[in-house]
Amino acid sequence: MRISLEVNGQAAETEVSAVSRLSGFLRDVLGLTGVKEGCCEGECGACTVLLDGRPVNSCLVMTFQAAGCEVTTVEGLGRSSGLQDAFLQMGAVQCGYCTPGILMAVEGLLRDKSSPSEAEIRHALAGNICRCTGFEAIVQAVATHAAARQGSY
Amino acid sequence: MNQLSRRVPLVDGVAKLTGALRFTADLHIDGLLHGALVLSTHPHARVVRIDTAAALAIEGVHEVFWHGNTPSHHYNSSIWFSGQKALADEQMFPQIVRHVGDRVAAVVADTEEIARHAARLIEVDYLDLPAIFDPEVALGHAGLPLRDDDTPTFLNPVAGETFVYGDLEAGFAAADLIVETRVTTPRSHHCAVETHACIARPEPDGRILILSPCQSVFAVQAVVGQALGLAPEKIRVQKTPIGGSFGGKAEPILDPLCAFFALQLRRPVIIRFDRHETFTATRTRSSVTGWMRTGFGVDGRILARETYALVDIGAYCTGGNYLPSSMLQRLVRLYDVPAERYSGRAVYTNTVPAGAFRGYGSPQIHTIAEISLDIAARRMGMDPVALRQRNLVGPGAIEPWQGLDLGNARGRECLARGAEAFGWAGRYQKGVGRGRWRRGVGVASATHINGCYPGFHEETTASLRLLPNGRAELVCALHDLGCGADTTLSQIAAETLGLRACDIVIVPADTDTCPYDLGTRASRMTYICGEAIRRAGVALAKSIRAAAGLELNTPADDLCLEAGTVRCRDDAGITLTDLAARLDSRGVELPTATESYRAQANPGSYAAHFAEVEVDRLTGRVKVTDYVAAHDVGWAINPMLVEGQIHGGIQIGIGYALYEDVAIDRATGRMRGDSFSRYTLANAPEMPPIRVLLVEEGEPTGPFGAKAVGEIATIPVAAAVVNAVNNALGTELTELPLSPERVVAAIG
Repeated sequence: MRISLEVNGQAAETEVSAVSRLSGFLRDVLGLTGVKEGCCEGECGACTVLLDGRPVNSCLVMTFQAAGCEVTTVEGLGRSSGLQDAFLQMGAVQCGYCTPGILMAVEGLLRDKSSPSEAEIRHALAGNICRCTGFEAIVQAVATHAAARQGSY
Repeated sequence: MNQLSRRVPLVDGVAKLTGALRFTADLHIDGLLHGALVLSTHPHARVVRIDTAAALAIEGVHEVFWHGNTPSHHYNSSIWFSGQKALADEQMFPQIVRHVGDRVAAVVADTEEIARHAARLIEVDYLDLPAIFDPEVALGHAGLPLRDDDTPTFLNPVAGETFVYGDLEAGFAAADLIVETRVTTPRSHHCAVETHACIARPEPDGRILILSPCQSVFAVQAVVGQALGLAPEKIRVQKTPIGGSFGGKAEPILDPLCAFFALQLRRPVIIRFDRHETFTATRTRSSVTGWMRTGFGVDGRILARETYALVDIGAYCTGGNYLPSSMLQRLVRLYDVPAERYSGRAVYTNTVPAGAFRGYGSPQIHTIAEISLDIAARRMGMDPVALRQRNLVGPGAIEPWQGLDLGNARGRECLARGAEAFGWAGRYQKGVGRGRWRRGVGVASATHINGCYPGFHEETTASLRLLPNGRAELVCALHDLGCGADTTLSQIAAETLGLRACDIVIVPADTDTCPYDLGTRASRMTYICGEAIRRAGVALAKSIRAAAGLELNTPADDLCLEAGTVRCRDDAGITLTDLAARLDSRGVELPTATESYRAQANPGSYAAHFAEVEVDRLTGRVKVTDYVAAHDVGWAINPMLVEGQIHGGIQIGIGYALYEDVAIDRATGRMRGDSFSRYTLANAPEMPPIRVLLVEEGEPTGPFGAKAVGEIATIPVAAAVVNAVNNALGTELTELPLSPERVVAAIG
């Protein structure tokens, strides 16, 4: 079937099969390999992208379901907010494989809630597996960044 | 001191944070074919028939591989150099499958989708054979592991280690209290978020190039060579970025298959495991059942200790034969025990093979010993911190097994400072309350090694060379597993050269361009590779000063390297970029230095961890609510990355204590925890806030005083958590993980 959608601000019109997963479409067709696949059953969160501003596991979204939607991947996140720099400076990235998904989950949280509590940050990350950091530096980076982001508005 | 003790961010961090870093499955390679495996659904069976016709009939399928058309060479996937003698019992596609998840066949096709579809069409007839899932039963399946002609028998034990030291009988006779315990540790899985993947590409010169997220390119070369019967020089291996390993990617699993398929089909081939395959067809941590009998003096001194450890290594040997001795090596480094008897046995079962996993036996043996010690503390009414303090080794202690000097061993400081930060004295024994919710606190100590000394090959070679742009290139087969080793080692090199970490250009590990190295294992990166790099840096600095001395007409001894410049005493100087340009313009080769470093020692790293838990007596659920980790790291080159290692180690350890078990069904041999929906990890909501204390007393043999932290970070965690639960409930739980069912059953 033919669908149109917007990915990282660019309009795309494409033919997709009914069984195409959004994660596979983004990676294989559009070459957005910042979208990672770690389980393909919605448990690890490595494939998290924003769908109309809300974080979703793109492995559980069929591509046709994204028709008419805005999709944002890590490649389209932009560095101007300073989120990635907070992760870098505070040691919230190690192997980097879960990082794109975590960044998108955090971005989704912060768009919804500008000053989340620590518990809210941890809850927002409940669907993302990280095996390297123990989440400690991630939670700190998000809290620090949220405060800075709020101050800048 | 410019680059040391600094929280330098990862040198490759921006690429990771923008999604620009390409992992193996992200690489674009022209003409790439995709492989998919057929895995055994039977735990022990003879494959009597494979019907590939339906698979081969699918458009886009290039070939189906199985035992009938692949090499049958026996190999051992844990070897780390070509020609290494090891129990070779694995085959690419064995005719007799030995565990659920063993390799039966593979399809190579134009796309992964086609390959997976075709793989499902392959019909396999199995003739079931008796299967053993219980390591104690496995002991009865006894005999020598090899026949005279070197074919494996799969009889037990695969390996053993026995050690006797001191007067055991006298020790127990003098004991005021003897405590006997049995502790079991689970089969846990690495759960790196990147699943296993490998690419092999035939090269025009007839060689094969392997792109692998591995822990040692030389190990991959050796294993592929053994499996394919190829000379190592026919195999070139390059390390790709790695999305977590923890030992799970230490052994090449897909690499021999990819290499063979690519050579046969003359096309590049990728195999990318899915999560289920990564659980069932790679490696796990070995499970260990430990019996410990310890005699204590009235003052809490350990007078004698007896340990028997039975290690379930699964269906293939891999490196499992080393586990009994590895566990012994780690056990004898922690406490001053005057009389010791240790016996360890490793046995095959028809379960997924065990392999390397962060600590290599150390988490198992220290979990067993630290839970046992805590039970003893409670039985004798002694504070667990005081009991440990009474027995810990100190600086300069010699361990009794290999006679190694443990170096500047600061386990006592870890315990004392951690206890103070945690507020142990005020919190211990307040655990036992009334009602549904109980709180408790627990402590555990740990030690670990620094590298493989006195084992052979514990050496490495590092080359540094000045680049025309004033930066320096580092060649040393380095495998950063995501922990930040490249950053730490760049800081070491930069410190010697007056540069910044980001000025060091690391050449990725490649068997064609790097000198041999053991790879990332045994907590050796900072301690061993770091020292080689420090020495190469000192040597390069010397030759840069000599070259600059000629340019500036100044004695080299009057020069120092600082902020990218060679400075004289009077502050005049020359930038490294200008120096390089001047040398280059005259056709003089730019300064370079190569140093080989062979380890002379294997000091201990030490730690003490403190946990508070809340236990729900109704549901049996445990939540870790507070955590303090104190670590003797010698000297932290990069405190931020050291803390990161410790935080991550605690996540793995909490899972080990409370959740993680691949749970192989004792009736069918099937793995119950074979996906992220059935294998629980500690995620962000389950993780407690963590405080880290670094004890930095310096290790004289380490680079700038540094010692290892990578593996030890996870070693004391499970015992600290279990001890806290036992403190909260007044129980003696010893079977891990402490699932809600087990907790509820213990409360009664």
